Amino acid sequence: MSNSIAKLLALDKISNFFNIIRQNGGIRASMYKLYRQDELKDGTLVGEDQFGNKYYENPRYFYSRNRWVEYSDNFNMNYDGSQVPAEWFGWLHYKTDLPPHKDPNRPKYKWMIEFTENMSGTTGQYVPYSTTRPKIEPWVPKPKSSV
Amino acid sequence: MLRQPLSRALALSPSKVAPLAARKFADQVQAQPDKVEVFINDKPVYVPPGTTVLQAAAQVGVEIPRFCYHERLAVAGNCRMCLVEVEKSPKPVAACAMPVMKGMRVKTDSDLTKKAREGVMEFLLVNHPLDCPICDQGGECDLQDQSMAFGSDKSRFTDIHFSGKRAVEDKDVGPLIKTIMTRCIHCTRCIRFASEVAGIDDFGTTGRGTDMQVGTYVEKMFLSELSGNIIDLCPVGALTSKPYSFAARPWETRRIDSVDVLDPLGSNIVVTTRTNEVLRILPRTNEEINEEWLSDKSRFACDGLKRQRLVTPMLADSRGNLTPVEWEDAVVAAARALRDCPPGKLLAVAGDFADAESLVALKDLFNHLGSENVCTEQYFPLEGSGTDLRSSYLLNTKIANVEDADFVLLIGTNVRFEAPLLNARIRKAFVQKETDVALVGPKVDLTYDYTHVGDSASIVKDLATGTSSHEVMKRLENAKRPVVILGADQLKTPEGAALLAYTQELSLRLQDKLVDKEWKVLNVLQRTASQAAALDAGYRPGLGAQLQAGPKVVYLLGADSGLVTRDALPKDCVVIYQGHHGDAGAAIADIVLPGAAYTEKRATYVNAEGRAQQTLPAVTPPGKAREDWKIIRALSEVVGVRLPYDSLDELRERLAAVSPTLVAYGDVQDNNYFAQARALAQSLQKPVSGKLDVQLKQLEDYFMTDSISRASPTMAKCVQAVLKQKQSPY
Repeated sequence: MSNSIAKLLALDKISNFFNIIRQNGGIRASMYKLYRQDELKDGTLVGEDQFGNKYYENPRYFYSRNRWVEYSDNFNMNYDGSQVPAEWFGWLHYKTDLPPHKDPNRPKYKWMIEFTENMSGTTGQYVPYSTTRPKIEPWVPKPKSSV
Repeated sequence: MLRQPLSRALALSPSKVAPLAARKFADQVQAQPDKVEVFINDKPVYVPPGTTVLQAAAQVGVEIPRFCYHERLAVAGNCRMCLVEVEKSPKPVAACAMPVMKGMRVKTDSDLTKKAREGVMEFLLVNHPLDCPICDQGGECDLQDQSMAFGSDKSRFTDIHFSGKRAVEDKDVGPLIKTIMTRCIHCTRCIRFASEVAGIDDFGTTGRGTDMQVGTYVEKMFLSELSGNIIDLCPVGALTSKPYSFAARPWETRRIDSVDVLDPLGSNIVVTTRTNEVLRILPRTNEEINEEWLSDKSRFACDGLKRQRLVTPMLADSRGNLTPVEWEDAVVAAARALRDCPPGKLLAVAGDFADAESLVALKDLFNHLGSENVCTEQYFPLEGSGTDLRSSYLLNTKIANVEDADFVLLIGTNVRFEAPLLNARIRKAFVQKETDVALVGPKVDLTYDYTHVGDSASIVKDLATGTSSHEVMKRLENAKRPVVILGADQLKTPEGAALLAYTQELSLRLQDKLVDKEWKVLNVLQRTASQAAALDAGYRPGLGAQLQAGPKVVYLLGADSGLVTRDALPKDCVVIYQGHHGDAGAAIADIVLPGAAYTEKRATYVNAEGRAQQTLPAVTPPGKAREDWKIIRALSEVVGVRLPYDSLDELRERLAAVSPTLVAYGDVQDNNYFAQARALAQSLQKPVSGKLDVQLKQLEDYFMTDSISRASPTMAKCVQAVLKQKQSPY
């Protein structure tokens, strides 16, 4: 009853605020998280993937805001959506309510390759070879000695 | 745009004809015949009798459309496009073939004339395919332009579904010219060019009326060193360039006026480029050099500029393999080699395509380092006056004047392949002025008849001393304007000095007797575009002695003739190569500095007559390549002997200080001191016994002679085609 009165008076917001600060590791850590992720939330840790990304859930937030990922510190500020592996993607986007480690029916085949993030814009990006002839064909010197 | 068919008549205006000062002859001071007054559209014009109506009209700026008429070819009068109305004449007359008559009144835009043109146009278009959208001539086609200007505005041609248009089988005339004979309008320009200018009577017509075809009678390729010109001559798209086919439209391209360096004449060219790529090279009219022709190597070897290029500085690694490096590393390595070498052991060698700027800069650098060993690959005897007098190594008669000669004596040169357009001039004189030609040297096909005197060097001696009993001796003595052309290749031999001395003696003996004191007899035909500038700048011709001295550092400025080899150099010799193609020079180099080719820089070249001309940059040098003089300037800074010029203008001031002729663009100076050269050469007249030989004997030798043409796939195809033609029974 007192809970609902506090809710009515919006006093739970205050306790939530302090709860969030506490969960995120104090004022300093909270400031950093706010700077890095642009939002500060409290929630229960559902799991962690092989890259160290942490997945949280809090039903207090409305649907579509209630599941989120906090990217591993290894990514620093260079995190992006493609760093979420495929198995967690489904849970994060409500395709399933079972996180990968709790879902026994997920297929595991040996031909499945390791997940990789999108490398576009980096030195690791894929560049198709050119099929056009270069305008200038450079001279290739004949090797004088073989190795 | 180079081919300006409609404005070509303007070329007849006095300003574009070779300056009169260049052609003063004793017996030309004769009374001009009375001029005839004719009226073109009621405008009076005075012309000498014998002028055609078309030329008279051109003088008052009236252009009469034409297809078959070309002022450098014989009049054919078969296209009928130039029909004009002449008062009191029952029918329209062909202006290109009709000489003017006194008081003739020509109407070039009367109704009758217009109707005649429309009719001719209609007949031409009946059998001309409507493939302008896929035709390579599109945009520069005389038929397109003239059907817009003079054709009818509607068509009466409805027969397309019944008998259709005339179709003609295409001919295979070689790897340079693509034929689509259905487009041919039978102007016969190509036939006339082949037989008159190129001297190859392969082309002709078969059949008549609708069945008329232009072709080679039997399956035969049109193999000539001037064949590319029929592409420019063809007013429609029947003859187009094979390497350029479907490459670009004329309105997409940028045209840059430049100068050719693949032969010693320095023909004027237009470089056509698009997206930083040389697409084709066309001739540019210069009455004093190339008229409006261009030789095939100059025209088609431009695809060699895209192959085998040096695009990055290279340095030999520990195993001796050249590996790409940054400019800094290469320049520092080259500078260290130059600085650490004793001045006496330095050697610079300039090659075929070296421009005057880089020649002077390199010589300055070497002189600053204390070395005088700057050489060219081509040898020239240093005995006697050597290279001190310009008259002994240039074409003194000048190219344009050769066609006024009445006797040409060629000594040890195959002009046809060493300077194709000079040969075209001699042929022009032979055909039009009945000039006689005699040749001392191996028997070669010059495309015209000549008296073959023999191939022994002693003939020159006999002619010079006047002891020869050959009829050529008498002809030379009696000639009013004789020309003697000595091939520079002959000077390489140990007897070269004597041969030059005899040639000077012969020429000067003839010159002294001439009525026309301005006429010059002596000519030495250089083989490369760089030689004249190098000799002007003070380079030492030939490098035999310098190589034997065992140089420690050899600086090759585009030297690709294969004269400098690793075997001829000491083991620890450092070879620096600066140039634009990976050829003989780069292959033996330890340090490679990529330079710019002649289409990529503003540079001065001096042609075989001593005329300085400049190329303009059409495209940028590829990759990390830089303009040649800048490389040498940068190198000098690192070596520690900074050259005192930072811009091209400052360098050209230096050029002017070395020799004012190097920057007198377009001009050619009259050479003097013939008598002094002759006097100095007196003592060199030793007995000669050798045989004269030329390097380029056959057409297949002509196409690939330097680093650019050796890299060109088109030139390789030409050689294959010539060899294949030799197998053919025709």
